[in-house]
Amino acid sequence: MSQRQSYAVGTGLFIVLGFAALGYLATQTTSVANSSRGPSYTVEAHFANIGQLKERAPVKVAGVRIGQVQSIVLDPGKETADVKLAIDKRYDQIPDDSIATIFTSGLLGDQYVGVRYGTSKKTLADGGELALTRPAQQLEEMLGKFFGAGGVADNLGGSYVVKARFTNVGALSVGAPVKMAGVAIGSVQSINADPVKLDALVTLAIDKRYNQIPDDSAAAVFTSGLIGTQYVAIQPGGSPDALKNGDEMVLTQSAMQIEDLIGKFLVSGSSSGKPADGGKTDGGKH
Amino acid sequence: MSVASSENIVVRSLSQIGDCGLFLLRMLAAIPRSMRHYRETIRQLWFVGAMSLIIIMVCGLFVGMVLGLQLYDVLSIFGGTSATGTVVAIAIYRELGPVVTALLFAGRAGTSVTAEIGLMRATDQIAAMEMMAVDPIAYVAVPRFLAGVIAMPLLTCVFCALGIFGGHLVGVTWLGIDNGTFWSNMTATVEVVKDVVNGVIWKSVVFGIVVSLIAVFQGYTTPPTSEGVAYATTRTVVASSIAILALDFVLTAFLM
Repeated sequence: MSQRQSYAVGTGLFIVLGFAALGYLATQTTSVANSSRGPSYTVEAHFANIGQLKERAPVKVAGVRIGQVQSIVLDPGKETADVKLAIDKRYDQIPDDSIATIFTSGLLGDQYVGVRYGTSKKTLADGGELALTRPAQQLEEMLGKFFGAGGVADNLGGSYVVKARFTNVGALSVGAPVKMAGVAIGSVQSINADPVKLDALVTLAIDKRYNQIPDDSAAAVFTSGLIGTQYVAIQPGGSPDALKNGDEMVLTQSAMQIEDLIGKFLVSGSSSGKPADGGKTDGGKH
Repeated sequence: MSVASSENIVVRSLSQIGDCGLFLLRMLAAIPRSMRHYRETIRQLWFVGAMSLIIIMVCGLFVGMVLGLQLYDVLSIFGGTSATGTVVAIAIYRELGPVVTALLFAGRAGTSVTAEIGLMRATDQIAAMEMMAVDPIAYVAVPRFLAGVIAMPLLTCVFCALGIFGGHLVGVTWLGIDNGTFWSNMTATVEVVKDVVNGVIWKSVVFGIVVSLIAVFQGYTTPPTSEGVAYATTRTVVASSIAILALDFVLTAFLM
């Protein structure tokens, strides 16, 4: 009988253990469990954009973890994120004018809050606020700045046509955007091979609103992103005269082939630290 | 000759599957009657469940650890080691937890159930029960079947928990992934319904039913010889393993 009892007890323990494991899986590993480790104090920070920051992401000073993100909520009535940081009690000497920034570890890595110390003598207390913040850098924005990608131009004000000759248009197609400073100002109207000069004659339809483009501006065929579509970028020159309908842009830069880029990168990377594409406005025909 | 023997195999396997299905119906019909023997069910739960805990926990720990190690190695190529926790959890919940637990269960508990019932059959204990007007289905088969069906999801949960622990041990404690990142990525990606309920619970319940049915059926219908018991035990492992892996694919397709 006592043996039977021990079976029952052991079986009961087994069932309890199984359900405890289930409870652990369902609560601790799926929904966010806000367990902070050790005594900590809470500091608030308001960010314009938190990017991919998640709760329980680390808070670091000089790369050393000093706490974690406790909660992320949208500020009521404002377009900013209210991020509460739980910082270990040990680190209570943070100046109150420190700057909180959202960083990404590596290209694909996770985001965390980095704190850079200020110079103030006063330190942050529980419930204090890090007033100076820098939002997360969105990869898209960075790429956009880098490659000048943007939207498509509306065509409300009518357009005027300018021509440009390229030795190589790459994969540029009719209808591709024409951009200046990353903003679409027109589109490619036609692409024809010149039977005499043996280059590509591209006509660009540019919105009439943008009629102040200097006539020594350069046109270049760029690619949006690493594998994106190609577009024509216009880099303004310094001439006082503006481009007019039917004008031809003299300074052009042909499409960069990715093979060329990589080749240049490998060569220049070994000899000097100069940018791989040799600058955007090298001008002239290649 | 060969045509006849292959036909024979087809007919034999079909009749085995049919017998197995009928046996399942007989057991389901006998469940109310076996409620009188609930103590026997608890005893079997102890044998197939609690006694399997050690092997399940050790295997779960090592599966989680090796996953952590492999994923860290591969993900570090992309600088994405922070995703280790997420991938360990998803891999264990959706596939490795239920499947490995079921395979281990078939080897650890299924075989012993088959051998036990087979020896009961070989030593005429089952015939003796029938003579004493004790329903052997209700007294022998159903408690072992129910115990397996109950034990499998619980064992799978324990396996998964230990697997996560193993992945954490390797990833965070040894390889230095940030603890908060490990958990926050996991909690941000793993879903209760899609991963825990569909992966862990449903799969393990189905595997529990299938493995227990095969084990009990093979034991109950074994030829009453020592050779027959040996074959039945082997068949339990082979048939269970194939059924687990095939059903895993079907279940994944349905539950995705």
